[in-house]
Amino acid sequence: MSGEEEENAAELKIGDEFLKAKCLMNCEVSLILEHKYEQLQQVSEDPMNQVSQVFEKSLQYVKRFSRYKNPDAVRQVREILSRHQLTEFELCVLGNLCPESAEEAVAMVPSLRTKGRTHDDDAIGKMLVDLSLVKKFE
Amino acid sequence: MFLKVELPWNVMIPAENMDAKGLMLKRAILVQLLEAFALKKATVELGYYLTVTTLDKIGEGKIREQTGEIMFPVVFSGVTFKIFKGEILQGVVHKVLKHGVFLRCGPVENVYLSSAKMLDYKFVPGENPIFMNEKMSRIQVETTVRFVVLATKWMEVDKEFQALASLQGDYLGPISEE
Repeated sequence: MSGEEEENAAELKIGDEFLKAKCLMNCEVSLILEHKYEQLQQVSEDPMNQVSQVFEKSLQYVKRFSRYKNPDAVRQVREILSRHQLTEFELCVLGNLCPESAEEAVAMVPSLRTKGRTHDDDAIGKMLVDLSLVKKFE
Repeated sequence: MFLKVELPWNVMIPAENMDAKGLMLKRAILVQLLEAFALKKATVELGYYLTVTTLDKIGEGKIREQTGEIMFPVVFSGVTFKIFKGEILQGVVHKVLKHGVFLRCGPVENVYLSSAKMLDYKFVPGENPIFMNEKMSRIQVETTVRFVVLATKWMEVDKEFQALASLQGDYLGPISEE
């Protein structure tokens, strides 16, 4: 993070290293952590004792805040969002918060409306419909 | 936001754990790496360290003269959680005080939402105090709240992040569970 510009995720000012870094949606993290936890269960009788507090709290959190549970649905959500020229960060905010209207989506990800970008309400609305279909058929 | 990161690390293996069979060595490296990773907890750059996902590269081991340990440079992938200013997140209320509420968000325990940042909500004292607005929307322990991050702070001693939250903005506030 450069010292000159203040961090502000709403304007995508989160440091170049994070803009390029791969972000993960809650549902993706949930799959990873649950898989890890299952592996631990196989080798330990008390797996909760084997994991760090950070792991435990994060697992609880992503279980509560994953809208999509099925691995295929999780993949489809990323696939749908990837078609829309979003940064990794924007993609994951939309996947996590599941806005219901284009207006809500822009409120959650104000950077969608920065100059020079082509996300009009129709395109965003279409994307949200596609996402809701994934949920419906999960 | 959860991040997928690739990190270099140095793993120390005591000489007695060296084994002619390659698999045992890889196992020893992995066990050491997982232990070191769990102890690290968090850094100001990448946030909280959740888990190692893959061990991508094991370099050439070098013997350390004083201790006889072997040092292996490795590269692995893992998952971290970092909270960004301006980010919109969901959290769960775990404490209600007169001047505001504390939320838990992922591994972050202390996200503070001051009553000054939710002006339409009024404090209602009682055995289980709550915040409530004119539309009877309530914020109490276990309520899910969608908030925007106003500021973050890294506490080096505890290796923890703290954050200040606000409900001033569209589509922010308590959310009824589906």
